Amino acid sequence: MKDSCSSVSKLIEKYFDQEITSKERFFVEGHLQNCPACREALSSMEELRTLIKVPVEEAVRNEDFPWLWQKIERKIRLQEKLTWWQFLRSWLDASPLFKRKVWIPAVVTIGVLLFITAQIFFKEFPSYPDSSVVEYVESETHHVMVYDLEKAKVTVIWLFEGLEEESSTS
Amino acid sequence: MNHEETKLISRCQQGDQEALKEIYDKYHKKVYRIAYGVVRHREEALDIVQEVFIKLFRSIKNFKGRSHFFTYLYRMVMNTAIDHARKIGKHPLSSLDEEGGFQPSDEIEKGPERLFLHKELEERLNWAMNKLPAEQRAALVFREIEGLSYQEMAEAMGCSIGTVMSRLHYSRKRMQELLKDYVGILGQSRGLSDGSKGQSPPEL
Repeated sequence: MKDSCSSVSKLIEKYFDQEITSKERFFVEGHLQNCPACREALSSMEELRTLIKVPVEEAVRNEDFPWLWQKIERKIRLQEKLTWWQFLRSWLDASPLFKRKVWIPAVVTIGVLLFITAQIFFKEFPSYPDSSVVEYVESETHHVMVYDLEKAKVTVIWLFEGLEEESSTS
Repeated sequence: MNHEETKLISRCQQGDQEALKEIYDKYHKKVYRIAYGVVRHREEALDIVQEVFIKLFRSIKNFKGRSHFFTYLYRMVMNTAIDHARKIGKHPLSSLDEEGGFQPSDEIEKGPERLFLHKELEERLNWAMNKLPAEQRAALVFREIEGLSYQEMAEAMGCSIGTVMSRLHYSRKRMQELLKDYVGILGQSRGLSDGSKGQSPPEL
């Protein structure tokens, strides 16, 4: 390669891309007239460009973009629906009462209290759920009530004297 | 950026979908050209175009007008296309009949030998493009396909003109090395009878 080729090689791509000054163009074109090697280099660049560009131009020319805008519109609409939900959530997040650091412990505490309270509540009213009054008898001296406890298989006879005194026996 | 485009972008920033439609009408072919240049597959390029315009609608509020709008858009396309190609692990077409693959021009006689040549060329080209680092591939696509100037490329790629020139130089050099066996095939595949190399150098 001639010495001048090394100077031109730095400019040849700029010349090829038409990003060259008029002075540089004059220098390059003068050199190219007498240098097959540099002309060959230029030709290779041209060929590479054609190789890369032609299929793409073909593809664009043959493409009719079927329903492409409609698909884009639809996806934007779907995303907008989500953003409404996100907006609601962001509103909830914005309220200090709904901050995760507040409401999660609050919910857990309420849950635990309910659990404990429910157990106490049930324990406070022990009953004889299976009791049923078999007989009630009134007399001048005593009132008698007979309870039959199915579960315990016990019969309770309750004697009480009027409304003021009560006694029970089983 | 002209006044009309400024107004259009402003309307789009306020959520006007009609404005986005106008931007789409103006730019969708350019976006497709860049996307296809990177992935070289129709269906994937169409997916990229969709994704780009949806992203654009979401992010256009961030566009401050300091650069040209089209360089902002082109950067978005390139980043999306390269991400897409990376995720899918794009490989050259395996079948001429595969939908979305390159179809030779009607101008070129579709004999079986020439179709095979096209297929092989396209596969080789895809393979070679995939060998390039992302920024070199971007430089090649912007320059060879879209014809951007060095200044426009620098804006779109967020780098200096010197860096643009360097990336272009190394990408061309690498592509010529990778495709050296195919020099002259373009001439054959375009139906030149003497089998000479593709095109003659520019007229001096």
